[in-house]
Amino acid sequence: MSEVLAPGGPQAAHIAQLWWLMLAICAFVFIAVTLALGCAVLRARRATSETAPESPSTSGEKRVGLWVKAAAALSMLLLVILLGASVMTDRALARLPLDDALVVHVTANQWWWDVVYEDAQPDREFRTANELYLPTGRPVIVKLDARDVIHSFWIPSLTGKKDLLPGRTTTIQFRADKAGEYRAPCAEFCGLQHAFMTLDVVALAPASFDAWADAHRAPAATPSDPMELRGRELFVSGSCMLCHAILGTSANARSGPDLTHVASRAHLASVLPNTPVALAAWITDPQVAKPGANMPAHFLADADMRALLAYLGTLR
Amino acid sequence: MSFALAVVALASLSMRAGAQARQDSDWPMPARDYANTRFSPLTDITPTNVSRLDLAFSFSTAIDKGHEAAPIVIGDTMFIVTPYPNRVIAFDLSKPGANVKWTFDPKANAKSQGVACCDVVNRGAAYADGRVFFNTLDNNTIALDAADGHEVWRTNLGDIATGQSMTMAPLVVHGKVLVGNSGGEFGVRGFLAALDATTGKEVWRAYSTGPDRDVLIGPSFKPHYAQDRGADLGVTSWPTDAWKIGGGTVWGWVSYDPELDLVYYGTGNPGPWNPDQRPGANKWTCGIFARKLSTGEAVWFYQFSPHDLHDYDGVNESVLVDLPIGGVTRKVLLHPDRNGYLYVIDRASGEVLSADAFALITTSLGVDLASGALRYNPAKTPQFGKVTRDICPASPGAKDWQPTAWSPRTKLFYIPHQNLCQDTLVYETSYIAGTPYVGAEAKMRAGPGGNRGEFSAWDPVARKAVWTIPESFPVWSGALVTAGDVVFYGTMDGWFKAVDAKTGDLLWKYKTSSGIIGQPVSYRGPDGHQYVAIFAGVGGWAGGVVSGNLDTRDGSAALGFANAMRDLPHVTKSGGMLYVFRMP
Amino acid sequence: MYSECRSHFTRALRITVVLMLVAGCEREERQLDPPPVKPDPRAQAAALSDFQPGKQGPGMRMLAAAGGYHEQSAYEVAQGKQLYRWFNCVGCHAQGGGAIGPALMDDNWLYGKSADAIFTSIVEGRPNGMPAFRGRIPEQQVWQLVAYVRSMSGLVPSGAEPNRSEGLLGAPPENLRDAQRPDEKH
Repeated sequence: MSEVLAPGGPQAAHIAQLWWLMLAICAFVFIAVTLALGCAVLRARRATSETAPESPSTSGEKRVGLWVKAAAALSMLLLVILLGASVMTDRALARLPLDDALVVHVTANQWWWDVVYEDAQPDREFRTANELYLPTGRPVIVKLDARDVIHSFWIPSLTGKKDLLPGRTTTIQFRADKAGEYRAPCAEFCGLQHAFMTLDVVALAPASFDAWADAHRAPAATPSDPMELRGRELFVSGSCMLCHAILGTSANARSGPDLTHVASRAHLASVLPNTPVALAAWITDPQVAKPGANMPAHFLADADMRALLAYLGTLR
Repeated sequence: MSFALAVVALASLSMRAGAQARQDSDWPMPARDYANTRFSPLTDITPTNVSRLDLAFSFSTAIDKGHEAAPIVIGDTMFIVTPYPNRVIAFDLSKPGANVKWTFDPKANAKSQGVACCDVVNRGAAYADGRVFFNTLDNNTIALDAADGHEVWRTNLGDIATGQSMTMAPLVVHGKVLVGNSGGEFGVRGFLAALDATTGKEVWRAYSTGPDRDVLIGPSFKPHYAQDRGADLGVTSWPTDAWKIGGGTVWGWVSYDPELDLVYYGTGNPGPWNPDQRPGANKWTCGIFARKLSTGEAVWFYQFSPHDLHDYDGVNESVLVDLPIGGVTRKVLLHPDRNGYLYVIDRASGEVLSADAFALITTSLGVDLASGALRYNPAKTPQFGKVTRDICPASPGAKDWQPTAWSPRTKLFYIPHQNLCQDTLVYETSYIAGTPYVGAEAKMRAGPGGNRGEFSAWDPVARKAVWTIPESFPVWSGALVTAGDVVFYGTMDGWFKAVDAKTGDLLWKYKTSSGIIGQPVSYRGPDGHQYVAIFAGVGGWAGGVVSGNLDTRDGSAALGFANAMRDLPHVTKSGGMLYVFRMP
Repeated sequence: MYSECRSHFTRALRITVVLMLVAGCEREERQLDPPPVKPDPRAQAAALSDFQPGKQGPGMRMLAAAGGYHEQSAYEVAQGKQLYRWFNCVGCHAQGGGAIGPALMDDNWLYGKSADAIFTSIVEGRPNGMPAFRGRIPEQQVWQLVAYVRSMSGLVPSGAEPNRSEGLLGAPPENLRDAQRPDEKH
């Protein structure tokens, strides 16, 4: 949650500013109300030991009345200030300059993110899953789609939330100004594994981002090592190719995440570290780490698993 | 010496005369000639006497799938190819009745039926130099000896495990057998190949997608329009590697101009149907190639439907005619495309001279002749998550594979076609080799007017229809026009019709045993009389509800055709039958 | 006295109503982590059909789901419906009406309508073009597909039928289907 207060870009900065203003006003109101409540309690205690509270003096009543009117007027003023601040924040969010924006198409599935980097030149488009790399200082337009139920896109340090609705494409714009790693948890309950549906967001300097993008445009190379080749054979002639795609092979299915550069990702399935041991456990039975996930268990012989892991390890 | 020369000259003259007479009486390939006119020069049948046509014989193929083939006739022999199992039967026409000379069974792989998108049809065989050439559903091109039917050679052109099949009729030109593949709904990469007619060896193969060296694009390639110029457009107009499963199959008609030495053919739809998975112009799908016969090098290309949105394959026939346009006789080709436009294209340069709508079109606003580009209507783009309605023409197009006929006498182009609109929804689909790669669901229905079919006569110089006959069902059969000015076509409820070529008046009709989706042909029999032959046997994409016994309660069955053909099973059943009529 | 009785009665009524509502809260039991089972010896043998989609491969050993077929479970049937599209079954069989493959929503069964027969069709393939998915689709998912295929003609309990499809509805929703075609009388 503290990420919201450490904005890495202008959109989150506007929202953080509004948040601090609301905190300040609410804190002030809270303290004022507490003090007033304290005064009232003290006065009531004094009152019961002396005269009956039913007959206050007229001047005392008028003074209290003034206090109430003043407090009411102040409350309205504070609310108007908050309204104004909210409107101005919305305006600021909508006025992000979008020249030379990077366009990314994010489709939310239960429970993974499909990310496509669009390009005017169709053969420069590429695809990844569960990670979103961005160049700093360049605006990003993210097109949002969902394939099954409603999810929500939220990078606390960079932008506010926007729902991904099945049957409707929406967009959100933001910019990352500070390089670093950010988390984007799914922000709308979407089923059993909603808690483990995080998008790894990484903001890089533009040169580093271009290098990353070029590497991700390339299809997977044909391995030379025989064990890696066997692993690839297992992938394209077994069940993996029914759901997954690896560019450069005949596997080109879209029901599951694209795995062309899976070895370069920080996490597996948003929940596991990307290590061979974790990958082996995941392939054997995804239900252990992510019960309810759509990927079924696979029982592989040891030699086959080693070959498959060797091949998947080459997919940087 | 001079006497010997005179004898030789006389002999060759008589041979040529005999060959000429033979040519008039024959029908050696489904389109009859390289220009694909389907025009019979025989004059015996006229509008006044056609009602006297007699049934000479009929022959059951014992196969209840769609019969799209054209029977071919050389001299005294007729050859037919059936749908899967693709048997070839030769009839001796000199004897009365259906006299079977020989039968050939290629023993095609039964599992190939699982990768045929639109019924297990075959569009016919071709005869050349004493041999009969045909394709089997499981990707073999076979050459048979015409005299006794023994197999001379067999060449395999692909694997059904990739989703590929073959249904088209080969074109045999100057010792080369031109064949193409099917499978655009399976992500099959399309190609046209030339096989040596003597040995069956592959001489060249031109792919429809991929790098220039695979598409046989080289220094001879001079496309007329700017958007078709550039290096490796068959790669750069697709997302990375998408061209490998990009479609562009060549399952339709091929024509040939002997003077220009150019082969003309169309490429099929890109895969998948869902356009969002393949941004870019998707070259070289949904277009027409002109290639040199000897090497297959591309000379020009034009794309009818760039970045196709509605399965508007470009494989329809290109009929080669010489027309007076703008006061000059131009060598053109007439191509009625799925997208609803009748293109008149200069067949030497690839310049589009006119493109006029011959059906109701909502999916585009016209063809810009200056740039050659099709102007799409953005409101009819199929999308994910939203049903796009009233897409006209529907996916089978204003006209599908069913071939037209051209009469040099009436100067009219006879077009069997349909009047269908549809609703479409697209979604992301996975490529799994050997399974359909479509990503779309559709429901078709009749267009305005309620008639699902039409048979029109089009004047390509005046650029308009001269007469049109509405039909209840799509007119899925081919057309035949004779020099006697009679036009023949068949309907899907089984009526074989003859109409006046000039006026469209119905002259004669005959109710056959099953819906007609075949190609009518005409020939002179050994007894000197004119004959007309046609296959009955409903099926194909339009008739799949009957030949596949589909359940029409699901309107999206048969890729959306079921919704429009709910009444077909009540009016006809399947069952292949060859009908041969004789003018007494 | 009367008012006391009445207040007891009202309280009892309230308690009863609450208990009834709580009793109705029983969720359908769903096995998230099926117990690991021995690999199926059938999976080691070669497929009956030599037509397998894509490249011929050694296949991977699958988990034979012990008692793997759950057609009473709405979750299993709904997963089958999702897999029916993910694995391109819809491309050949449409929404039950058929296309390249036969219709699945009527009561004409070429090879039988029992769960075993449908399972065999999917895993082993059939001679006239049904591919063999042995080694491709794990058995647990094949059983889900079997449940959905049976639901397409209304053969599973109505409580387990999947929801109406969104988008282009070609056929009636599965829970309203009748296997018998209207023009066929038995």
